[in-house]
Amino acid sequence: MATMEQLTLQLRETAREILESKKAAAVIGWEKGTFWYTTTPVVLTKPEDTERLVWNEYCLNNLAKYLLDFQHSNEKVAIFARGCDSRGINRLIQDKQIDRDKVLIIGLACPGMKDDKKARELGQNADIPLAKKCQECAYPDALVYDLWIGEPKEVAKPVPEAKVFPEVEAIEQMTPDDKYASFAANYEKCLRCYACRNVCPACNCKECIFGNSSKEWSAKANNLSENMFFALTRALHVAGRCIQCGECERICPVNIPIMLLNKKIIQDIDRLFGPYEAGLDPEDKMPLGSFEFTDPEEFM
Amino acid sequence: MFTFQESEIKNLLNALAKEYKVFVPAKVGDESKFVPYDDNVELYWDRNVLLSVKDKFFPHTEPMYKFKTKRKTVEIEPLASKDEPVLLFGVRSCDLQALNCLDQVFLTKGFVDEFYRTKRDQATIVALGCNEAEDTCFCTAMGVDPQKGNGADIQAYRTQGKFGMEALTEKGQKIIDILKSYLKEENLQVPETQGFQLQPDMDGVAEKLKGMFDAELWAEVAPTCLNCGACTYICPTCHCFDISQDVRGEEGFKYRCWDSCMFEEYTLMAGGHNPRPSKKERVRNRFMHKLCYFPERYNMLLCTGCGRCLNVCPVNLHITSIIGKVKEAN
Repeated sequence: MATMEQLTLQLRETAREILESKKAAAVIGWEKGTFWYTTTPVVLTKPEDTERLVWNEYCLNNLAKYLLDFQHSNEKVAIFARGCDSRGINRLIQDKQIDRDKVLIIGLACPGMKDDKKARELGQNADIPLAKKCQECAYPDALVYDLWIGEPKEVAKPVPEAKVFPEVEAIEQMTPDDKYASFAANYEKCLRCYACRNVCPACNCKECIFGNSSKEWSAKANNLSENMFFALTRALHVAGRCIQCGECERICPVNIPIMLLNKKIIQDIDRLFGPYEAGLDPEDKMPLGSFEFTDPEEFM
Repeated sequence: MFTFQESEIKNLLNALAKEYKVFVPAKVGDESKFVPYDDNVELYWDRNVLLSVKDKFFPHTEPMYKFKTKRKTVEIEPLASKDEPVLLFGVRSCDLQALNCLDQVFLTKGFVDEFYRTKRDQATIVALGCNEAEDTCFCTAMGVDPQKGNGADIQAYRTQGKFGMEALTEKGQKIIDILKSYLKEENLQVPETQGFQLQPDMDGVAEKLKGMFDAELWAEVAPTCLNCGACTYICPTCHCFDISQDVRGEEGFKYRCWDSCMFEEYTLMAGGHNPRPSKKERVRNRFMHKLCYFPERYNMLLCTGCGRCLNVCPVNLHITSIIGKVKEAN
């Protein structure tokens, strides 16, 4: 099997060829970061710059969100994609944010990325565990692609499995007061930097209510009530659309377990409407975006 | 120098807590920050804290005054800060330098911000030297001495199982007087700070940036940025705020809260025009402000090399690499 160093060369070559032949106006990938445990997402437009691309075990960022920057461009854009990136791309296609034929997807099989925070703590010689989001990942390989780098691969259409999240069940066991206390402890520390929103492929509203204080839906003040309002609104807005890439939780500067709420909603949808995974196929019916006559309607 | 055994620290902090509201660096869950001292706090000395002391002087959200309308009149009630002496124990040099930056903004050039000034006047600061740099640290490149907190009332060191303290001001001497019975006078070798890995070269950068408003660099680096506010909210020197109000019926209050130049709304004008419409203008502004505009106005950098933004940026768009790119640019 090709090593990641060998694949990096293929990534560069593919990107260079795409830019030189003008198959796409830009290529979205990763480049080396400041530290051995960091990489940085990069948007390249010049063929000679493709030498900067890397593919290593610290390519943690989901790239899909960057496609939104090309929403109003007439040109095609190329993007490297593993499972999580491809689910993010499907998210944007299904949400009608970007046309499939404007994206050139270069598929990758992902070995799972390492935990950069642990890497920083433990040092270069230690055995670094996989990032939490990668430990939980069910679809490491690109689900949709135009080109494929690495061993030739047929990706079978995956079948969603019933969802059980132990951390959600642990919260469900708590008394209402304890649930509130745990929720409050998590969101008291929120900085409201909106990194979670800005990294999220499901957060693709043209205008976010949390970026428009003149409408007074929410206040800019940082307090528990406003922070919770933000957290709940965002969780409910991405309900049924969260692709579980875990980026929100990974990049939160104050370590809020943001995926807890998302997982709770995923689990509830699973129980109410049957197994469903967001972002596997843009043609799939969305559980909260469609209806069937057999849907539960206990409130009516 | 006055010294005491590290094992004695809680006795000293308890003595100080009788006279001051004492804040100490502590581990709280996975984070670290300055918290009010009590016997149960988990003191944290190994590294600098994740959240700086900025919010002790410039809170994230700060009520300014209450108002109440009665027919055609308005009653206004100022919301003054509590009058209590505060002691911050263990502030690192980079964060002290950040306070010096904030002082420029909130206290000089004929504008005095009373909310800030009151809290600054009430505070006594014990600086703590750094023995070891983190991989994200680059304070020395920004002209900060990691063993000497500029503007502190006391300089403290932590080495060989002991704390050493030197009073630098009258406020600092008062602390020494309170602690007298716990302190011993002896020589303590101040260790040199080890382990700096990043050394961005600032030589000529501020000057060069003056001519780089239209440089290609910004369009090249900006696409990576997500325009979240993580870097600005974690930064000990970023000081932008917005004024808002909370109105319920006929009464309410005005408050100010942190704002970020990374947000689209930050420069959005009433008519809908946005002079910084895209990532490029916003990213440019952040780095120009830190490395060019602020030095131009106040003759000091608006970055102290604390490295927090390197730690939290979701996409690792680091100020150190921007400095490198400015140096390289034609």
